[in-house]
Amino acid sequence: MIALSTRSLIETQYADQVRAFERSPWFQRLEQGQASPQEYDAFIFNLCQTHLKSPQILSFLYAVAPPEAAPQIKHNLLEELGLDEAAICHPDLLYVLATAAGFDRERQTRLAEAAQAQIRQLCTDPLLFGTMQELGLSVLLEVTCFEWMLSRLASRIGKALAAHRGLPSESLIWFDHHSEVDIRHAEEGLDSVEQYLAYYEIEAEDLETILDITFRENIFIKRYFADLPALAGATHENR
Amino acid sequence: MRIVDATLFALQIPFVEAFAHSVRSRSSSDAIVVRLRAADGTVGYGEAVARPYVTGETVASCLEFMERTLWPAVKSADYAPWVGQEPIAWLGSLTLPTEDSADADTGVVAWNAARCGFELALVDCLLKSAGVSLGELLPPRRSVIYSGVITASSIEGAVKHAKRFKQFALPHIKVKITGEADRERLAAIRAAVGPEVSLRVDGNGAYSVEGAIATCQALADFQIDSAEQMIPRGNPQELATVQAASTIPQMADESLITLADAEALIAAGACQGFNLRLSKCGGLGPTLAIADLAQSAGIQVQVGCQVGETAILSAAGRHLAAYLPEISFCEGSYGSLLLREDLSRRPIHFGHQGLAKPLKGAGLGVEIQDSLLEKYAQQIITLPSKAA
Ligand SMILES: [Fe+2]
Ligand SMILES: [Fe+2]
Ligand SMILES: [Mg+2]
Repeated sequence: MIALSTRSLIETQYADQVRAFERSPWFQRLEQGQASPQEYDAFIFNLCQTHLKSPQILSFLYAVAPPEAAPQIKHNLLEELGLDEAAICHPDLLYVLATAAGFDRERQTRLAEAAQAQIRQLCTDPLLFGTMQELGLSVLLEVTCFEWMLSRLASRIGKALAAHRGLPSESLIWFDHHSEVDIRHAEEGLDSVEQYLAYYEIEAEDLETILDITFRENIFIKRYFADLPALAGATHENR
Repeated sequence: MRIVDATLFALQIPFVEAFAHSVRSRSSSDAIVVRLRAADGTVGYGEAVARPYVTGETVASCLEFMERTLWPAVKSADYAPWVGQEPIAWLGSLTLPTEDSADADTGVVAWNAARCGFELALVDCLLKSAGVSLGELLPPRRSVIYSGVITASSIEGAVKHAKRFKQFALPHIKVKITGEADRERLAAIRAAVGPEVSLRVDGNGAYSVEGAIATCQALADFQIDSAEQMIPRGNPQELATVQAASTIPQMADESLITLADAEALIAAGACQGFNLRLSKCGGLGPTLAIADLAQSAGIQVQVGCQVGETAILSAAGRHLAAYLPEISFCEGSYGSLLLREDLSRRPIHFGHQGLAKPLKGAGLGVEIQDSLLEKYAQQIITLPSKAA
């Protein structure tokens, strides 16, 4: 039997992650309009927290990128910062969303602090991997998996927030951007993973283990729903 | 120094992944945190993990014992502050009361988790008040190397875990076994990690004497460095029978709860190793006493942990493991590798190769976040400081 190609092995993992997220009770509750305003706001807070520091994370990935992948990651980084042709700073879009959701100054400050705390945690957590190449791969997998998910679900999430949380379309531009732009990004993300694996000569067995470690939890449920109470039928554990 | 205030937090912190062994499978931590406040305002934290199948304590009975027996003793005591006394004697002076009378009908072997919770809180509080780290009393001799633990899931799952641990270069791995496909499991794990990694097994009392002997024989091919608690807690003579018939060093865990247990195991020549766990043995004072006895009897000691322990027990275990003259293996400090959130402000978990440095901060050396205690508390009990 022929082993799965590296690319389809990774894509299978991404697809599993996205499917579990899409089928999770919280996603359904939010999409079907069953969540309370406070629950929508908790979700918005978590989503903003997750993505506010994307430029910082991308700059880390840019630093460790192999030459073939570097231009692409650099372009993503500039786009994220609003320094490309489109000139839309993505973190600003998240603040627009937060403001539309009625987050006051204090809540927005807490949001900024929570996002910063994630960077701090990344730096203070004792490193389990032996070298930067494994850490870089794990971060790259997570980032590209998010892009992959957003390219498939961002517009649905945006629609749900418009329909059930009453947010105006101007406040949901972040979702438009990630659903359209990231279809391309998601494919390019997989290219960059392949380039990374080749450049650092990472063996198939190590890739499998790093995939397993990176995706031992559902990364979307962990980031977006962690603070929301467990719902009946939730399958938080083991994806 | 007087203790003026106590709060008990019965927690429920979800695990990142479920954890299973032959006796129990759990998906969240049910640790109890004891928070004490001294007259000078210093706050200290201790932790108890009640395990019915180890000491006989349940969360409910542990809380009840704390309230009924330990808190009255603590609030009426005047503790000697730390001013440089002989450390072991000072720690010993904090040891909490046991209760002999009620034990027969409750099935409790010892209220050791409860005692550990209060003792660690006292240690943390009194040392913080003096601005001293527990590491000054128990000077660290080394960094600590933690083991990975592979739980009794499918063999496929076990191999996955083994590969993760290999990726993290953990030099020591313990495997939970149940009597089901033990050989296949160990063969698969040994194949996954290679010949260099130290493997040991833990049966959690799932075997008969004959079964334990046969299993140890069957597993000997895989270079097993220790077999922990293969048979249930009981007559030390039975464990001695297993040890006599087996080339794998036997280690007592559930059989070793009290100092009297330690004496009986040594007298019977029951095993070559003791698994010391603070919550099981009643805190630092009693555990150090057992360690001392073990050392003079030539018994190897392992510093074990409680599945689902938070940074408080992990910190105390770290100090113990770094201090003891010689330890065979060390477990614990999984922190956020296992818990969705740990209680300490800085992460406690070990890093690459299972390594973790001794802790230096005052008291136990971890900063506990009260907001998380409240977030994960199923029950909060405030104990009255004045007799009603
Ligand atoms: Fe973006
Ligand atoms: Fe993007
Ligand atoms: Mg054990």
